[in-house]
Parts: sequence; C-alpha cells; structure tokens
Amino acid sequence: MSAVTTESVAPPQGRPRLGANRRLWRTLYLLSAIMLLLSFVRVVSDAQDITSAGTFAAALGLAVPIAMAGLGGLWSERSGVVNIGLEGMMILGTWGMGWAAYQWGPWVGLLAAIAFGALGGLLHALATVTFGVDQIVSGVAINILALGLTQYLSAVAFEGVEGGGPTQSPRFDAISTVSVPGVDSLLSPIADKDWFFVSDVANLIIGLTTGVSLITVLAILLLVASFVVLWRTAFGLRLRSCGENPWAAESLGVRVYRYKYVAVVMSGVFAGIGGAYLADAANIYREGQTGGRGYIGLAAMIFGNWRPAGLASGAGLFGYIDALQLRQGGTSVHALLLAAAILLGLFAAIQLWRQRWVSGAVVGVIGAVVLWWYLVTDEVAGEIASIAPYVTTLLVLALASQRLRMPAADGQIYRRGESH
Amino acid sequence: MRRVIKVAAIAMAGALTLAACGGDSDGGGASAGSSVSPASYKVGLAYDIGGRGDQSFNDAAARGLDQAQKEFNFEKKELEASAGETDAQKEERLRLLATGGYNPIIAVGFAYATALKAVSAEFPDTSFAIIDDASFTAANVANLVFAEEQGSFLVGAIAASASKTGNIGFIGGVNTPLLQKFEAGYTQGAKAVNADITVQVKYLTQPPDFTGFNDPAKGKTTAQGMIDNKADVVYAAAGGSGSGAFEAAKAAAGPWGIGVDSDQYKLPSLAKVKDIILTSMIKRVDVAVYQFVKSYNDGAPATGIQTFDLAKEGVGYSTSNPAVAEYTAKADEFKEKIISGEITVSAKP
Repeated sequence: MSAVTTESVAPPQGRPRLGANRRLWRTLYLLSAIMLLLSFVRVVSDAQDITSAGTFAAALGLAVPIAMAGLGGLWSERSGVVNIGLEGMMILGTWGMGWAAYQWGPWVGLLAAIAFGALGGLLHALATVTFGVDQIVSGVAINILALGLTQYLSAVAFEGVEGGGPTQSPRFDAISTVSVPGVDSLLSPIADKDWFFVSDVANLIIGLTTGVSLITVLAILLLVASFVVLWRTAFGLRLRSCGENPWAAESLGVRVYRYKYVAVVMSGVFAGIGGAYLADAANIYREGQTGGRGYIGLAAMIFGNWRPAGLASGAGLFGYIDALQLRQGGTSVHALLLAAAILLGLFAAIQLWRQRWVSGAVVGVIGAVVLWWYLVTDEVAGEIASIAPYVTTLLVLALASQRLRMPAADGQIYRRGESH
Repeated sequence: MRRVIKVAAIAMAGALTLAACGGDSDGGGASAGSSVSPASYKVGLAYDIGGRGDQSFNDAAARGLDQAQKEFNFEKKELEASAGETDAQKEERLRLLATGGYNPIIAVGFAYATALKAVSAEFPDTSFAIIDDASFTAANVANLVFAEEQGSFLVGAIAASASKTGNIGFIGGVNTPLLQKFEAGYTQGAKAVNADITVQVKYLTQPPDFTGFNDPAKGKTTAQGMIDNKADVVYAAAGGSGSGAFEAAKAAAGPWGIGVDSDQYKLPSLAKVKDIILTSMIKRVDVAVYQFVKSYNDGAPATGIQTFDLAKEGVGYSTSNPAVAEYTAKADEFKEKIISGEITVSAKP
C-alpha cells in the first residue's frame, strides 16, 4: 500500500523535496529488509542475542563516539582540511571529561571536553590554515601531542587524588539517561513472545528508546543539525565551497580562512563530545581508552561518502557488529555468517541476471564458502569474532560503495590570493 | 608574520618536549632516606604502561620495591613505558639503566621480553628480572612468574558456588597466553564445584591490539551481554577495562563481579561499586619483586624461572568483602588440595 502512495505522490520528474520523500521510503524498506533477514537468521541459528534489546542499545552506545568523530571529520573535510588528528582531539575530550566531571559534575565535564576538543581543533586550524602545514603531518603531530599532554596533565591533576592516578581520573557519576515513557512496558510483552519479525522490531524500538544517555540524544541532534547547516544554509554552502574549490570561493568573496577555521574548530568540538561520551559511558577517564575510535570515525565518514546520513549508518553498522561480537561473539557472529551468505547469494544472482558472469560467479563462490563455513561449525572462534566489525565494514565498502567522491580540494593547501 | 611563525614553532617544539616528558616519573624519590650512608647499589625498575599509581600491576611492583628499600640500603630509579611504544624504545630504556650502573634491573611485564632478551646478553654482569614472562631464560635473568591458574581456580570455585543460574562469565583483556592461564584456572575451578556450569568467555581484543586493557566502555558492554545472557558472576581479568564490567554488574543489581591482581574491593577508584566485588584473584607482584631484590641483597641473585604459586603465597584470593565468607571454607579446601598436589590445575584452557 505504501508503495502505491509514493508512486501516486511522486511526479515523473521528482523535484528534490519529493526525492527526499522517496529516499525516506527507500530507507524504511531497506531497514525492514535488514530486520527480516536478521529475524530469519535468528530463528534459524537460534542466536537470540542478534536482535535482543540489549544488543541494539549497546550498538547505539558503541556507535555514538564513532559517529561523533566521523562528524568532526565531515565538517573539517567538507571545508577542505583533512583531519587525521581526530583521535588526538578525542583523547583531549576524554581527559577534559574526566578532569572536570569528578569535580563539578558530568555536564561541566562535557563542556570541558568540548573546550579541550576545540583547542585541539584550533591548533590544527592554526597549523594548516594559517601556516599551511601539511594536513597529515599536523594531524599526526596532534595525536602525539594529545597523548603526551594528557599523560602529563594526569600526573599533575590526578596523582594524589582519591581514586585517581597517573593513568586514570577518579570515578564520576555519568550523565543521566532517558527513556521514552511507556515503550518498555508496552513492548516488552511482545518482545518476549519470540514472534518472527514482530518481536525483533519490538526489541529494536525498546533498545533505541530505553535508557539512552542524554549525550546520545545530543549526538543525534547534532547529526541532523549538521545536515541542515551544511546543506540547507548559505553558510553551509560557502563552507562546502571551500572544500570543493577555495579559489573560486575566494573570487566570489567568501572568506575562506574564516570558514576553514570554523569548520576545523567544530571538528574538534565533535571529536571532544565523542571523547566525553566514551569517558561518560565508563564513569572514568582512562589513558588509551579511545582505542583508535578517532580513526574508525574517519573511516565511517569515508564509508558514508562525506554525508551525515552515510556516516551515521557506517557508525551504526560498525557499532552493531561490535556489540554482537562483544556480547555473544561466538554464536552471534556465527549467525551473521548465514546472513552474509544470503546477501552474497542475492548479490551474485543480481550480477548474473545483469549478465556480469565473472563477478557473479566469484561472489557466488564466496557466498557458497561462507555458507559451508556456517554449516560445518557451531561457533566462530574468538579471534575471528573480534575482527568481525572491521571485516564487515570492509566488505560493505568493497561491494556497495563504488561511487565515493571526496570534496575536490580536500587535503590541498590553500593560500589566500594565490588563485590560479 | 615571520615572528608569529617563529613563536609558533617554539611553542610547538616546547609542547612536543612536554609530550616526551609525560612518560617519565621522578626517580630517586626515596634517596633522601639514604642520604645518611651512601647507597651500596642501585636498583632500576622499568614499568609497563601505567607506571606507579596505576592501582594495579605496576603499583604492586612499586610496593615490593618500596618495602625492599625500607629494609635494604640502595638507590633506585624508576622509568615507565608509554602507550604504543616499540621494542626498540623498551630496549633503550633497559640499556639506559644498565649503562647507568643500575644493578639489579627489574622489567615489569611480559611486554619487555624481547627487549630484555637483547639487553641481558649485552650486559652479562648485570642481574635482571622480568615479571610475567618465561619465554626465554639466561644466566643473569630471573623469570618471575605466577601460578595465576591456581588463584583463578579458587575464584572460579567461589563463582560457581555463588552462582544461582549456573552461568558465569570470564572477561579477558587481551587474548594472550598469560590471560589464558586465568581463563583455564577459572573454568576448572568452576567445573570442580558444578560440572554442568556454563562459562561465557570473551577477550576484549586480540594481540597486537592491547587496548583491551584500557577500554572500560568495552568491558561494560561485554559484561552487560553476559549478564543479559544469564551470567550472574563475572570475573574481569582485564586491567583497566575491569571497572566497566563492575559498573555493568552494579547497574544490573544482583550479579557479582570478581576482581584481579590486587584486592579491588579496597581500591578507592572502585569504592562506589565495591559492594558487588565478591572477591579478587590476588597476584603478589610485590612479593616477587621483594624476594628478587632480597636475593640480590643477600649476594645470590635469583636466576631462571621462579614460580610464585599458592604454596609460596604468590597468588590467592581476597576476603575483604564480608559476602565471600560463606564460600571461603570450600575455597580453602581446594587450596589445600592444590598445594598438596591432589589437584593439578592446567594452565591451558
């Protein structure tokens, strides 16, 4: 029925707004298809955890820091500055959170994390925009600097404090969580029924609406706001023009330096929020707790083709698989093999139908191997379960994202008045 | 403009120097005590990541050193590792101590194995010790290792006794042979009490990714997953990630957590969740360090593999949480049997 609605509403030459509408429906269809696949796999493999409410909640939690780092990368790279220093800015954020939160509460901690992240961004902007330093070099320097600086600051600020030490802050209370009232009590009975598809969707809704940290809510709002600001305002258009062709932007009167500064500092702010979330989720700052999530955020942004919705789905996918492997790695990842085999089989069928014989055959054989692997084992070894998030991301990138396009002037050094 | 660049360059350089200094801790802090009579020898100690004040492994080594210094007359220098460093940097640190006349030198942690193998051959007249590694032996190296599987056996038995669901969890920081000893002992201890028990096992990361020891958020997610799947006791042998596991147990209200290395019930940083820490598998790194320095002090530095097991009081479990009292009788019974040899605990899962 819904298909009919879209057909009747959309005129032959879809204007942008109606295109967006159709895209929404397409997203919904895609989501339902994924949930159908997962329900099917859950029933066949009896891996209950792959669609449990706890898994979806954990996936959301694991996705937030990655999405925030990715959003930071998005702002920066849309203005033409590659930001490999996100990891360092995230480290600054975790430290800022730990330092301020145990003394003045988590909300002040969040502000401190934002300030620290912004400082990291400001340093990157100063080096790359004002001084024209190579952006990769500056980013790597910030990562090293942030690590050393936080080690030094920890020794100064946390040593001798009850519960603190040179590698960790004292424990602090986390930012409170919120739930959509009534959802849990209303849907739990349905979720417990183990109905095909229906219970899985109920679990998804419970997982995403119950006990959600307020930083998560903030993160989702920031994702939406970033889209609106960057793609629906004159400010955003000018900012993106700096990443596509700063010389043309300059010739039209855009103050490129200023826009790049704003973008890179905002990038630090988002990375700082990601760091704050990480420390908040653990109730503690711990040295090294970012664990490379800044880089994964960067990868999620590339995965998402330098778009907010894309990077959110990249982070979501990574978070979901990571949640699976952390919670019930052996059985859940084993069940995913079946899902992968089905997807590969479908992909192979499409390729063959389009008469792309070679790629269809290759993917088909890979799918058959995965299916065989699924059938002859009961569980996946821990070593393989741990790399599942990375492998999945790589696979999806390889199969689905052939048309990535980064901002045209991304990574190039721009000097004012040197247009050519 | 030029001046601005110059100032910025100096500021950057200064900041980087600061960064490089971040990892060094102040050595010779206690030399004030020995100012009366000149120290007869100098002890060097190279920490693993975290160093003095990590409230865990390194702190235990520091405690042993402090205790030894109180009794014997020596000067000391402590250096610490930084995250993500290479073997070459570790070698450099050990070499720095050796050329500085420090003897004996103690390397804290298996991460030093490769570096120490090279450096100990270069300085045959210096006595070295390494904690938690027995991958190589040399005439001037003492391998101070622990029977973690025996201590873990006892907490495994306690976990199985305390579990009502017949389902318990084990979280390892990084999947290394060392951590597998913990898993092996824990599982055997649990099965000795309840042969049908389910033990959920998860390592947070795989080597060479060692972030699993410092990622409390992952520890929390993993523990939540185990608790959602019916585990009601979770043993966190995961360094700094353990605090996340305890947060999860605390939030779920009901499940127990089991700590590792030191008596985590008493750690100030875990004070808010300590009521759910049933017990901790204690590893007496301080005893090992003290014993090694003592052997050097007595003129016969220990060499070769020195195993600190239950019999030597090198491992054990803590009883500071009153809730553990009802399970100690059974655990002590197992302890006697292990010491007498009636039960042998395998170190492999």
